Amino acid sequence: MEDFELKNIWQAYDRRIEEARVLNLQSWALNLRCFETLQTEKARYRLNTLAAYKGWVAVLGVLWVLFLAMLVWGNWFSNPYFTISVGIIMLFNVFAVAVYIRHIIIIRQINYSESITSTQEKLAVLKLSTINSTRILMLQIPFYTTWFWHSSWINYSSSSFWLITFPITLLFIILAIFLYHNISLKNMHKKWLKLLMMAGPEYKSLLEAQSFIAEIDQFKKDLI
Amino acid sequence: MDTQQSREEFYKLITFNKGIIIKICNSYCADAGYREDLAQEIIYHLWKSGHSFNNNYKFTTWMYRIALNVAISFYRGKTKAATIVSLENHHTELADTGGEEAEANINLLQHFISQLNALDKALMILYLDEKTYAEIATVLGITETNVATKLSRIKARLKQNFATVNQ
Repeated sequence: MEDFELKNIWQAYDRRIEEARVLNLQSWALNLRCFETLQTEKARYRLNTLAAYKGWVAVLGVLWVLFLAMLVWGNWFSNPYFTISVGIIMLFNVFAVAVYIRHIIIIRQINYSESITSTQEKLAVLKLSTINSTRILMLQIPFYTTWFWHSSWINYSSSSFWLITFPITLLFIILAIFLYHNISLKNMHKKWLKLLMMAGPEYKSLLEAQSFIAEIDQFKKDLI
Repeated sequence: MDTQQSREEFYKLITFNKGIIIKICNSYCADAGYREDLAQEIIYHLWKSGHSFNNNYKFTTWMYRIALNVAISFYRGKTKAATIVSLENHHTELADTGGEEAEANINLLQHFISQLNALDKALMILYLDEKTYAEIATVLGITETNVATKLSRIKARLKQNFATVNQ
């Protein structure tokens, strides 16, 4: 088979498209009046799947932050351990919400008229940035074990505090530091990380984004 | 693009170049339901990106960039099963348009193209649509040398596939 034969087949296909109403989509594409409906009814609500997911997470995050803010406000230093712990958890969540909102803005600003490798690379990198925010969020874990501390408890039941509660917090500090250092793209294949990330619906898209970046890199290489 | 006149112009340009959208949708989506969604998505992005059209480029080059970018993003979000065009599926859609051998070749070519990865697929579509190496390089963001090398490999693969089927 010669090159021109491939092109002839494609041209025959082209003619078929012109002649025949091949698919429903063609009747849709031709009936551009439908586009008016799309413009007015659908388009203004439109976000792509990733942005929509991040949008929902951001909304839930805002609600969670508001709830935590109410707790901090309502217990303002009546118990410093509670106020500081919940306050720090709240700050981590403010960070997460800000990251998600920033992602949504970037997604909406992505320019599809740029070259394919450049646009697709940006999209994939954006997806992968989730892993960075995840590892930072891990640092809040120990504060979930300190909000119920109280000075009277530490002073009067010091043995149970120092022998049970404090070591548990210490373990969570070690765990948080371990996760912060080890949640990374190079460890994505590891079983424990897979199990941890499986809980999040973004895991699959992270893996796909990672392999797609490799694909784009390979594609961009000049082969001789 | 928000006046009635620009809207009319947009409609005309889309209608005139509808083949591009249809071919890209067919190549990236096996499922007719998804194809309709993808076509809507492409037209929406073309409309939304209207301001980015630069008269220094051909309209079709700009259109290919947007349509392929949208299709690849769409493709990444779907399962492989929904992206590979089966021969049976395609045969049904083109069945009443005549010419059995031509029909079979079109189905085969579509099937083989659908098996390529997202970027190679874009490259092949642009090549088959008679784009120059310079245009293909601009749309994809790679060098012309790279376009030439990759094309010769993909063509060799497609020809090999045809040869295997025809044996």
